[in-house]
Amino acid sequence: MTLEAFAASKPLTLGVELELGIVNTHDYDLSPSAVDLLRLMNKRKIPGDVKPEMTDSMIELSTGVCHSHADALSQLTEIRGALVDCARKLNVGLCGGGTHPFQDWSERRIFNTPRFHMLSELYGYLSKQFTIFGQHVHVGCPSADDALVLLHGMSRFIPHFIAMSASSPYVQGTDTGFHSARLNSVFAFPLSGRAPFVTTWDDFGTFFAKMTRTGVVKSMKDFYWDIRPKPEFGTIEVRVLDTPLTIEKAAALAAYIQCVASWLSKQKPFELAEDDYLVYTFNRFQACRFGPDGTFVDPKTGEHRTLREDILFTMGEIEQHAIDLNADTAMRYLRSELQRFGNDATWARQTQAQEHLLAEVVRQQCLRWSGELVV
Amino acid sequence: MVDELNQALSFLGAAFSWAGPDALVGTSLVLIAGALIGEVVFRRLGLPRIVGYSLVGMFVGAAGYGVASGDISGTVRLVVDLALALLLFELGARVQLRWLRTNPFLLVTSLAEAILTFVVVYLVMRYLGLDMSSSAAVAVLAVPASPAVIARVASEFGAEGQVTERVTMMAALNTLYGVFASRLLQAWLDLDTGQNPVQAIVHPLYVFVGSFFIAGLLGIAVARVARRLDLRNENSVLLLLGLVTLALALTKAFGLSTLMMPLMAGLWLRNSTERPWVWPRHFGTAGGVLVLMLFVIVGTSWSFSALATGGMIALAAMAARAAAKSAAVLTLGWFSGQSLRQSIGVSLALTPLSATALVMYSDLQGSHAGFAAQLSPIALSSIAVMELLGALAVLAALRSAHEIAARRV
Repeated sequence: MTLEAFAASKPLTLGVELELGIVNTHDYDLSPSAVDLLRLMNKRKIPGDVKPEMTDSMIELSTGVCHSHADALSQLTEIRGALVDCARKLNVGLCGGGTHPFQDWSERRIFNTPRFHMLSELYGYLSKQFTIFGQHVHVGCPSADDALVLLHGMSRFIPHFIAMSASSPYVQGTDTGFHSARLNSVFAFPLSGRAPFVTTWDDFGTFFAKMTRTGVVKSMKDFYWDIRPKPEFGTIEVRVLDTPLTIEKAAALAAYIQCVASWLSKQKPFELAEDDYLVYTFNRFQACRFGPDGTFVDPKTGEHRTLREDILFTMGEIEQHAIDLNADTAMRYLRSELQRFGNDATWARQTQAQEHLLAEVVRQQCLRWSGELVV
Repeated sequence: MVDELNQALSFLGAAFSWAGPDALVGTSLVLIAGALIGEVVFRRLGLPRIVGYSLVGMFVGAAGYGVASGDISGTVRLVVDLALALLLFELGARVQLRWLRTNPFLLVTSLAEAILTFVVVYLVMRYLGLDMSSSAAVAVLAVPASPAVIARVASEFGAEGQVTERVTMMAALNTLYGVFASRLLQAWLDLDTGQNPVQAIVHPLYVFVGSFFIAGLLGIAVARVARRLDLRNENSVLLLLGLVTLALALTKAFGLSTLMMPLMAGLWLRNSTERPWVWPRHFGTAGGVLVLMLFVIVGTSWSFSALATGGMIALAAMAARAAAKSAAVLTLGWFSGQSLRQSIGVSLALTPLSATALVMYSDLQGSHAGFAAQLSPIALSSIAVMELLGALAVLAALRSAHEIAARRV
């Protein structure tokens, strides 16, 4: 199979995908209700789309092409409204969060499509453990080569995205100590991690051809990289974020990525180098484990600082881009989030410390998702 | 020593008319047989364990040791009340009334299903030659779907999804309607027989309000306990069990409804606060023993003579009941967002009739013995006919709706 052509797209346009958990309203465990929810959603007119995911307690919503933070937020609000409405009709709850805090993965059922069954055959129990929920952000790129350059530039900020979006401290009823335990599940997949350091589409085509010849890879879908090019959309897709607990946070994070992309592509503040990846896994781990308090090692200077410091520093650098892109409200929102809770993982831990019942934490997650609880 | 043991275990042994040391032997045999056959039925045939319990009950009934007279009193009644109280309390605690507000067609479907069941069964009974009050009594008994069977099968197979949720909701509601209607029926019988009309009206009201009051007390007590203790802990469950039995004792002492109280307490608990309450299903092992005994006892409610006299009418009543319930659910289900497959599942899962009907019948017998005696062959045969079929129908419904947990399929 050859690599498909890179479609044209407007630079710095956005697309947001969110994977969500469907829970019952009795004990707030995951509920196998995706089919019912999708059936009701079929009758609704929404921007973007709602699709099934790997197991039948998950769904994925996606916006259409968005031009700004406000656009993304309004599309998300509209889709959320329809989804929450349908969920109420079925008496189920919808929640964000990178993991469900106490679901038992062995109870999950694979959603009935040929692709999901094929993946389940291939990956065994990993596919059921893949009941995790992420946010994917697409950024439009003017050309395929620009996309690869942006992809590698963006890699430096992967720990930022992880630390800010982290919302998965609990797995199978236990506090893992991680802010984002979700990414540990992704790491189990053979083709996860970083993309190879190639910066032209021709070189990428060569790499892709080699991979397909081994028979390990059939399409771009088989790569579970942290950021991957998406040729049919003409975008790069950032895939490391946990699904946040609110759509406001999801839209703000997308805007942050958009501003960083604008800064990187217009000002080219860093020279790309393969050696930048020497600290990649370390920084990524620190972000997953400690959130904003994790250590960030500057790939260029080797200097150590906290992720929080590096994020605030970047926010200063991209300020003008945020103003140009009408994303300054989003940046203010993220700054205040960083000061208040740090991220949703910390909120979840605080709520659990108060309630001593993970089911109650999930119930409040549902309220936050529907907009009924603003903290 | 043996006597003391017997006394301690008499609540089990008294299910059968063995006396003295034999009671222990009999009860042990029933427990062993129930647990063994239940397990065989579950593992080999993939059927609910209660099918095994019922089979043991039917065997005991055939041997002539059952409750085929419909007279469930003393300790047998206590076991039935306790087991049902636990199951109904659990069922009530799963029902979110807010759902009826956001999806009002559920309430419409539930009311239509109950009213249509009453009307159709009443008409069929009249057609088959029963008098007005007997027809009404059979029709009232036919209204509730058995929460015990539904709750038990659903939890044993880890069922989850729309059919499970909706059937739980419908069973809770039609049990409430049924119990209320049976009180009205008793009032009507009282009026018919020239009793004080004030009492005939005041009494059902007293039962309803009184049961609601005790239910509220139980709900508050459980909520208080749950705020401080983790209900998944075994010791907290014992406390919970103690509270439910105490409330049941009060209910019986004041002559209130042993069906309505636990169901309303569960409903109250679920709907008075949004906080989820989670405890082990059926309150752990103690509840498990009671549930086993409950299904064995209900299984003994049949006899050859009753089947011979009332069997055909009972079959007609049950067929009419199933048709009425299905008609309502199949026509109105779509409006509440059900697929056709789910509507079929819900109507199938509404067919079981068991302990609830037995208790309602027994209460009727307590207040109007002569009248109840006429009904006995039809009522008890219906319960016997549905005992096995009901559990199988629920399982078939949950299977066809793909709602059984992955590892138990």
